[in-house]
Amino acid sequence: MNKRTGTALTAVTAAAIALGPTGCSVPQQPAHGEDRAAVREGTVIGGTPRKGGTLTVLSDQDFTHLDPARNWVMNAMDFGTRLLYRTLVTYKAAPGKQGSELTPDLATGLGTPSADARTWTFHLRQGVKYEDGSPVTAQDVKYNVERSFSPDLPGGADYAARYLAGAEGYRGPAEGKHLDSVRTPDDRTIVFELRKPFAEFPYATVMPTFAPVPQARDKGPQYDNRPFSSGPYKIESYARGKKLVLVRNDHWDPATDDVRKAYPDRIVVVMGLKGGQIDDRLTESRGADASAVSWSALRPESGAKVLPDAEVRQRLIAESTNCTDMVQMHTGRAPFDDVRVRRAVQYALDRDAVLTASGGPAFNEPSTAYMPASLFGGKQPDTLGIPVAGDTEKARRLLKEAGKPGGFATSMTVSTGDKGRAEAIQQSLAKAGIKVTIETVDPSAFYATIGDTANRTDLVYTGWCPDYPSGSTFLPFVFDGRFIKERGNSGNHSLFRDDATMRRMDEIAAMTDTGEAVRAWRQLDGEILAAAPAVPVLVRRWPLVLGSNIAGAYGHPSFGGQLDYATAGLKDPAKSRG
Amino acid sequence: MILYLARRLLAVTGVLVAVAAVTFTIFYVLPSDPAAAACGKACSVERLAAIRAHMGLDQPLWRQFADFVTGIFTGRTMGSGRYALHCAFPCLGYSYENSEAVWDLLMDRLPVSASLALGASVLWLALGLGAGVTAALRKDTLTDRALMTGAVAAASLPVYFTSMMLIYGLIRTAGLLPYPQYVPLTGDPVHWASNLLLPWLALAVLYAAMYARQSRSSMIETMAEPYIRTARAKGLPRRTVVVKHGLRAGMTPVLTLFGMDLGGLLAGAVITESIFGLPGIGRLFYGALSTGDQPVILGVTLLAAAFIVVANLAVDLLYAVVDPRVRY
Repeated sequence: MNKRTGTALTAVTAAAIALGPTGCSVPQQPAHGEDRAAVREGTVIGGTPRKGGTLTVLSDQDFTHLDPARNWVMNAMDFGTRLLYRTLVTYKAAPGKQGSELTPDLATGLGTPSADARTWTFHLRQGVKYEDGSPVTAQDVKYNVERSFSPDLPGGADYAARYLAGAEGYRGPAEGKHLDSVRTPDDRTIVFELRKPFAEFPYATVMPTFAPVPQARDKGPQYDNRPFSSGPYKIESYARGKKLVLVRNDHWDPATDDVRKAYPDRIVVVMGLKGGQIDDRLTESRGADASAVSWSALRPESGAKVLPDAEVRQRLIAESTNCTDMVQMHTGRAPFDDVRVRRAVQYALDRDAVLTASGGPAFNEPSTAYMPASLFGGKQPDTLGIPVAGDTEKARRLLKEAGKPGGFATSMTVSTGDKGRAEAIQQSLAKAGIKVTIETVDPSAFYATIGDTANRTDLVYTGWCPDYPSGSTFLPFVFDGRFIKERGNSGNHSLFRDDATMRRMDEIAAMTDTGEAVRAWRQLDGEILAAAPAVPVLVRRWPLVLGSNIAGAYGHPSFGGQLDYATAGLKDPAKSRG
Repeated sequence: MILYLARRLLAVTGVLVAVAAVTFTIFYVLPSDPAAAACGKACSVERLAAIRAHMGLDQPLWRQFADFVTGIFTGRTMGSGRYALHCAFPCLGYSYENSEAVWDLLMDRLPVSASLALGASVLWLALGLGAGVTAALRKDTLTDRALMTGAVAAASLPVYFTSMMLIYGLIRTAGLLPYPQYVPLTGDPVHWASNLLLPWLALAVLYAAMYARQSRSSMIETMAEPYIRTARAKGLPRRTVVVKHGLRAGMTPVLTLFGMDLGGLLAGAVITESIFGLPGIGRLFYGALSTGDQPVILGVTLLAAAFIVVANLAVDLLYAVVDPRVRY
């Protein structure tokens, strides 16, 4: 309410907001730590859970959206699709690399494409039921795809809008109009007609857009507060911002589901708690808190309490978010229209210092490419070979070549939660003579501020996460000049518009050989890096401390490192009644 | 009396309309765009325009305001086709964030904030008045000085500091109490109280200190009045003199303060609720503020304004009951 309140609490909600409206922006997840070896990645914590008990989720926020037509935030997609609704295809429930592999969910396979990859056919499994026992039909999947076009239901993934044929100007089913490009020849067959070839369509069908919603249950915007379940759990009660209680959906048949284990009897999400308290409670893990997990990532202050304690470290997971933080430079105006100046910034930036300001190597990795490691098969290449602490001499030489031997002054917009990282960048660039003024913007206004291309600063500190493990959900969003907008610009904050790059992107998008496309995206990443529209800085992890009674837990690499709710459960269910 | 009441109620309405108008205008001139925020990443221009139209944001400011005010009195229908929704009286619109009716959100959170405010006020009135009156009656003694020094110290502690200390001392270190988690009074009164004890204490410490200082000076002043001397001269017992004659008159300034404080707290204690994780109106407000959820911000602002002006009115009316010298 007053100024004091604002400052004291900004950090608390920073995470909430960053994940809020813009689904795929980098989560504001600061962390602290020393030892990368201390971090558990790619392993399951706590062994196999036993069936039963109550799994508690302690959260500092509410879900942005649980309505499948609107749910497009990584960790909420994990929660929604693992517990409440099933999609045509989903990711395997496995840690590490296996977690980015697809597996059929509602469908019997990963979809059958036509020869030109423009028509995709999926057959639905038999025996999949809603919480009232009625069968899931192909028409219900079509209906939810149509819902995602409705202006009453904004926020969801736009893959249907971008790829379905004849979807231009479609405004959803509320007025009784339907999409001809989605056909349902029978109750268990659904056919999608795309406007262009799309070899990766099965990845898009992991999105909650492709979950079923029966028309009779659709309540428009209110559906967000009570999605109808096709998954292993259904909503018993949901008080927005306070508490969500899930109980078993008795009509869910494990024989139809290869992914979800559904160990706990109940899942209770307690919302609106203070972030620091959640970290403390889970570190202490007393009573019922032993059967609890955190929704949001560990806070930086808490890292210092967690990492030195061997017992707590055993309960810490920190999977990569697979989102790359970048300094994006305004390539449309001086001095950053000169590639030598942009390269000078690449060399001057001390990623090691930013890493330290961001919680150290336990919770981040320095980035040497734009796309995160998951899109490079596990490890980013280092095509430029710039030392992690930067090369000030080289930067100075580049500036001299560009006719700026004395450096220059510029400014950078950052979200409140990134201030520490920004200061580290400021210090390292100052050594090369680039004087950066930091403009801190409240997370709620951050994307609007940097999206105003005419009035924004030269530099912005922001990031991007791929929607699924393919370069097509990264490079075009960040570096395709045709996506640039005067206001509300997103992704391409370098305003990078390069004809050769755009041509190449179209060529790769049209490739039907997935392996060839993967190699091509990787190569293109290096080519753009050489043109230096942005400096890749770091890739954050998603550290979570689990209560001591939690089992079957790991961070899912395809859901931003969030706990995989498909397999999490309790070691001893009796202990959860505290 | 009736005329007075009518005049005051009219003024109350005026204040509320003014508050709504100012809040509305602030949002209109701010650079934030709720439609863009709702749309998400890679939002096409056409879709953004459709969403903006659906939210009614393409209308001129006066129109939006008129619709809002009309909605409060008559309710209104929002959305169209299958998704049309009737927002009943008193319609404060729907949250941009979670599509819940703002009125329902407020009513859902009010019991939490009311529990916090009422419980804390009982504590701080008992502590504050007790200390203040004791200090006044023992003016310039060691007790007086000790009490007032304590009050200054307590008043200087910001509520977030007190809260953190209480959490650290009683929950983290001693493990005496659980981390607060709101339980409705109707469900389990004992649990309700034990969970609210710390937030009550944190708030009460701050307010009690202010009330102790206020009631002390007010009591000292009253006890020096000629009618107190008369009462004493009549041979009335000291207790009667202090309680019936002194306290009643001495409490009017404290009552004014109390009306304002309670009114403000009923509409949410932002810091206390946030620190203790209580899902009250203050917490709702803070969340709405950080996501730019304009309908909720507007709703809370109006509710807070309403509580404060109504509490003020109630206090003014109570003067006549407490102090026999006041008449309307």
